Amino acid sequence: MEIKYFSQLKSTNQKAKELSSKEAKPWLVVVAEKQTAGYGKEKVPWFSPQGGLYFSIILPKSKIEDLQTLTILAAWISAKVIKDNFNLEPLIKLPNDVLLNEKPSTRASSLRGKKICGILTENIIGKEVKSSVIGIGLNTNIDKFPKELEDEATSLKIELGREVNNEKILKQIVEGIKQQLATISE
Amino acid sequence: MRLRINIKGKPYDIEISEEEGKIKIKVGGKEFSFGREEEEKTSIAKTSLPKRNFSKKEIKAPVTGVVSKIFVKEGEFVKSDQKVLILSAMKMENEIISENNGLVKEIRVKENQSVNIGDVLIVLK
Repeated sequence: MEIKYFSQLKSTNQKAKELSSKEAKPWLVVVAEKQTAGYGKEKVPWFSPQGGLYFSIILPKSKIEDLQTLTILAAWISAKVIKDNFNLEPLIKLPNDVLLNEKPSTRASSLRGKKICGILTENIIGKEVKSSVIGIGLNTNIDKFPKELEDEATSLKIELGREVNNEKILKQIVEGIKQQLATISE
Repeated sequence: MRLRINIKGKPYDIEISEEEGKIKIKVGGKEFSFGREEEEKTSIAKTSLPKRNFSKKEIKAPVTGVVSKIFVKEGEFVKSDQKVLILSAMKMENEIISENNGLVKEIRVKENQSVNIGDVLIVLK
């Protein structure tokens, strides 16, 4: 697994897109210890201080339908890694956010919880898909969130009361995504 | 210009001359002529090849989604590989690029508009 580590980036997705246009190989993983301008859908900022896990994977050229499926599966893979390693009960808010701490609701359709992981796939498409990157932000070793996010976000460190191994989680998620893409592309 | 070359031990006398823009090559009494006629044929072939690129140039939605951002305006010249809009679908952000150089003749969508796969987004000329 080829991983490029950066102490700081504006955004791992942005860096991965840049590297992808310079013919970087598929499955290169770009990791930043912190992002100064991390973002999710429609450029909504993603709180990315030191301690969290922020990475983007350059994906091999794939069909757009497969990428759509993969994006949803990436949430499932991330949730599974959290569940298997830490005995927590994550929830997936479709299409691709992972939440913790569900509070029972009278309405079955409303999932309540704090966001722990977000996923954003970005594609460049002409007549075909030219490049794709999938970016994942996972709140791992974050001590606390700003007041405006306290009710919306949590971290593994807050939930478990201890630090977790970012590299181990990173490798498990990347391997999971690799396996799933191979399966859905068959 | 005259020269003699050996091919597999057999000598060939070659005479090369230029007349009226044509190059004549005489080998063993036979004359071969290359010149304007061939150039014309070549240039026709060269100009006929890119014709496909100048047919109707439409940028279509590769996936069903919502147009979240448009980067170009009607009347603007776009280059091949230039980002023209963002199409969001299932939390994927799809940066749609132009495959051709051309003038933006018509933008058929607005920001926040839903589109179906295959819908024409932008027409170039």
